[in-house]
Amino acid sequence: MYKNFIKIAWRNLMKNKGYSAINIGGLALGMAVTLVIGLWMEDELTYNDYFGHRDRIALMYQSQTFNGETGTGPAIPRPLEMALREGYADNFKYMAMSSWNNAQYLNYEEKSLSRTGNFMQRQAPEILDLHIIKGERDGLREMNSIMLSESTAHALFGEEEAIGRVIEVNSEHDMMVSAVYEDIPANNSFHDLQFILPWDHYVANSEWIRDAEDQWSNNSFQLFVQIADNTTMEQVTQAIKDVKKDLNEDTVEFNPQLFLFPMKDWYLRGNFENGVQVGGRIKYVWLFGIIGVFVLLLACINFMNLSTARSEKRAKEVGIRKSIGSQRNQLIYQFLSESFLVVALAYGLAIVIVLLSLDHFNELARKEVAFPWSHLRFWGASLLFILSTALLAGSYPALYLSSFRPVDVLKGTFKGGKYSGTPRKVLVVVQFAVSVAFIIGTVVVMQQINYAKNRPVGYDKEGLIQLPTMSQDFEGKFDLMRSEFIASGAAIEMATSSSPTTQIWSNRAGYDWDGKPEGFQEDFAWTYVSTEYAKTLNLKIVAGRDFSKDFASDSNAVLINQTAVKYMGITDPIGLLLKDEDEENPDEPLKIIGVVEDMIAQSPYEPVKQGMYVFDKYGNGSFYNLRLNPEQSASQNLAVIERVFKEHFPDIPFQYDFVDEQYGEKFASEERIGNLSAIFTAFAIFISCLGLFGLTSFVAEQRTKEIGVRKVLGASVFNVWNMLSGDFLKLVVISCFIAVPIAYYVMNGWLQDYPYRVVLSWWNFALAILGALLITILTVSFQAIKAANANPVKSLRTE
Amino acid sequence: MLLELKNVFKWVQQGGQHVFLLKDISLQVEEGEFISVMGPSGSGKSTLLNVIGMLDDFDEGSYTFLDDPVHLLKAKHRANLYKQYIGFVFQAYHLIDELTVYENLEMPLLYKKHSGSERRAMVADMLDRFNIVGKKDLFPTQLSGGQQQLVGVARALISQPKLILADEPTGNLNSRQGEEIMELFRELNDEGVTIIQVTHSEKNAAYGRRIINLLDGRMIGEGR
Repeated sequence: MYKNFIKIAWRNLMKNKGYSAINIGGLALGMAVTLVIGLWMEDELTYNDYFGHRDRIALMYQSQTFNGETGTGPAIPRPLEMALREGYADNFKYMAMSSWNNAQYLNYEEKSLSRTGNFMQRQAPEILDLHIIKGERDGLREMNSIMLSESTAHALFGEEEAIGRVIEVNSEHDMMVSAVYEDIPANNSFHDLQFILPWDHYVANSEWIRDAEDQWSNNSFQLFVQIADNTTMEQVTQAIKDVKKDLNEDTVEFNPQLFLFPMKDWYLRGNFENGVQVGGRIKYVWLFGIIGVFVLLLACINFMNLSTARSEKRAKEVGIRKSIGSQRNQLIYQFLSESFLVVALAYGLAIVIVLLSLDHFNELARKEVAFPWSHLRFWGASLLFILSTALLAGSYPALYLSSFRPVDVLKGTFKGGKYSGTPRKVLVVVQFAVSVAFIIGTVVVMQQINYAKNRPVGYDKEGLIQLPTMSQDFEGKFDLMRSEFIASGAAIEMATSSSPTTQIWSNRAGYDWDGKPEGFQEDFAWTYVSTEYAKTLNLKIVAGRDFSKDFASDSNAVLINQTAVKYMGITDPIGLLLKDEDEENPDEPLKIIGVVEDMIAQSPYEPVKQGMYVFDKYGNGSFYNLRLNPEQSASQNLAVIERVFKEHFPDIPFQYDFVDEQYGEKFASEERIGNLSAIFTAFAIFISCLGLFGLTSFVAEQRTKEIGVRKVLGASVFNVWNMLSGDFLKLVVISCFIAVPIAYYVMNGWLQDYPYRVVLSWWNFALAILGALLITILTVSFQAIKAANANPVKSLRTE
Repeated sequence: MLLELKNVFKWVQQGGQHVFLLKDISLQVEEGEFISVMGPSGSGKSTLLNVIGMLDDFDEGSYTFLDDPVHLLKAKHRANLYKQYIGFVFQAYHLIDELTVYENLEMPLLYKKHSGSERRAMVADMLDRFNIVGKKDLFPTQLSGGQQQLVGVARALISQPKLILADEPTGNLNSRQGEEIMELFRELNDEGVTIIQVTHSEKNAAYGRRIINLLDGRMIGEGR
């Protein structure tokens, strides 16, 4: 019986190649989109699956409240570690203090690499369940040891044995390789952990870290833990939440709350708003999931509409089968197996499309999604996917077609009923409502990105580069290098700064000034800069003056930004003194000498934070900022700068970043969303149009005789075109009325995440509607005009 | 008795009025009969045939088929009944264009759950009997009208029905082809198959042993 079904289905497909192509092609495209989105979601949802103990791993988080605003983050103070080890050790199986992930230079013989890694305590390899390839798991025991990832070891030593070799870190410290571990795959939190150095080494070699041992307010470290086997995250959090508050009086006013942030939430639910976890990327995972389902739905609607539209052709068969003894459910099975065949073919095609486009998608989405050929689960899911799609697409046609009464259809006069086209129209409206909503969504995302991109940054980011100078080799070399670079003609100005131009690395509190409101808990973005900073960046001084070498007193001078003036509640900032509130060992007061224009250092979607640019008397600079010579091309300048750099630092790899590119990175995530949604929208529209095209050709065919009669009676080509297109245009207009309010509601909600956001204006929607109408007209017109131009003599003879 | 209609009425609603398609039809059919139904266009011939074939409902009266009260049966039982005992032959042949002659013949058997070997044997038998073995792999559109109707009759016969209902079986055929089909019907009738045919032609009607005349849905006479 099924053989018979499949045979008939196959012959029907072959007989109507045009319809079949539209049906299978459209469905394949829809399925390909859904498949790609599915693979992407799978990749996102299995983030951190590499770690064996992922359900019991957590990062210590801290919430503190300043002026009623609660900030949450993983930065914790050093004394907390000892307090936990002494009083709460039962709660933890393993604990490991850690630095942040930073780049270091690894030198071996001639080779010099820049790699990122952490300083971590001894139990880190246990927590991370590192897959040790060579050497010992307890590889951080000795203070002068280093654990390397497989690829790093290979880059340094090639095929040679790595264990026991000594490498030089930052041209300062000789470290012996104690272990080589398998690279942590891309979709995991520690994928950039290319080496691990011992925590003790970190402490031993930095004074400020040693000093931090008893500083409860120095939140500069991370603590990874694996909780004890007999407890839960909630229980541990309950036990430790007030440890800092209880042990340190000074910070009580900020109400520090400690809690464990479980590994499963790190990637997808890492956003906190005023101390409350508010999701994160997971939002986009579901958003794209919904898009995938909708695109598939559009393709299924095509299938439904084309199948039911062609029902007249199948009606006779239904009548014959019924009169021969087929029962209705047998016919339903038959049509469902037909849709199964079509869906299975489409799925095969979809896999081909996915294979061809996966590389492009990965590039666009910055992913390393691979096609899961060997995953049994994937093929199981595929089968389920095919079955459910076949059911979704095939059930309505099956129910509709199998309902025909043989008496009606065998008379040969069957034309469907007066309302037989209504469900089809409803489905077309659904399709276009979804497409129009997609268009609006994409336009809004693009606009928001453009809006933020066009926001004035406050400095001149073009032709500005930064070189990291965090190694000790650079100490005391600033003036020399500055004059060398300028003399070479490649740069016209240079300054140091303690954080990159496009980020804020440090925040500070603890200062008093005249007119400071009672109980004001200040918090400033804090950047150490050299004299030339404003000049290098073309940062405008709006009041007072810039730093100057002419004033020796400028070693204790500070520039503040416009927001800071408002924030501090002062009218005349120039000359104001900022006094250190530390009673035992106060720094000298800082004197405000000027106000600079606000510059965007953090998110371009948020207001600029109150900031201080403090004269760098300690040599805290972590970056050289160079203003390239505008007279020459960037590549010329860079070649010269690299040459000069190498003359002075032959052992250090030459690394640089263009500030405008760094700034552009801030839009990467939104742009990715914008690009992806643009592509998915294009597919959605294409699929909808494919269906519309099929429907028009069907309608044109069905009305051939009517068109013939009308033409004989004097209708022009335009009249006929108008008649055929008008029906569909009406449907699209209706769908616009449905789509606009929904899209408005959703996109308005999305924009609420951005304090600096574009205002939704009517023309966004008008543009989308106009676009949809135009596309409809183009799609419909092809068939309509063809039908209108047909010779009526011919079409009337076909009876 | 094969079947009996008693006071059967069928109507449609048009502008608030009943328009009768069948009016008070009472009819008994014995096994082995060959009946021709005649009458002008719109007199209700096809409707009567469809009612007998259980493809169409009626509004009043009763219908008994082999002791089963058809008007009281559920759709599924009714389908089982006609699947087993009734074969249809249509004016427009109504073969499935996408299936070959062989597959068209096989189809009714699929719905009756015969095994594969049984089906092969029965189809081969039929092909043989109608002399169309050479055509078994052709599609309906590759055959002449007469040949298509031959396949149509073969398909109706393959499930060994007691009753064949033929709605103007020769309407689309030329006279020679028509005669062949009618001869075939006579042979079948001689073998014991009951036949009810609708026809316009006096000549074809004469093949029947009993003629029923309809006018405006009413039986206006019976002849033999």
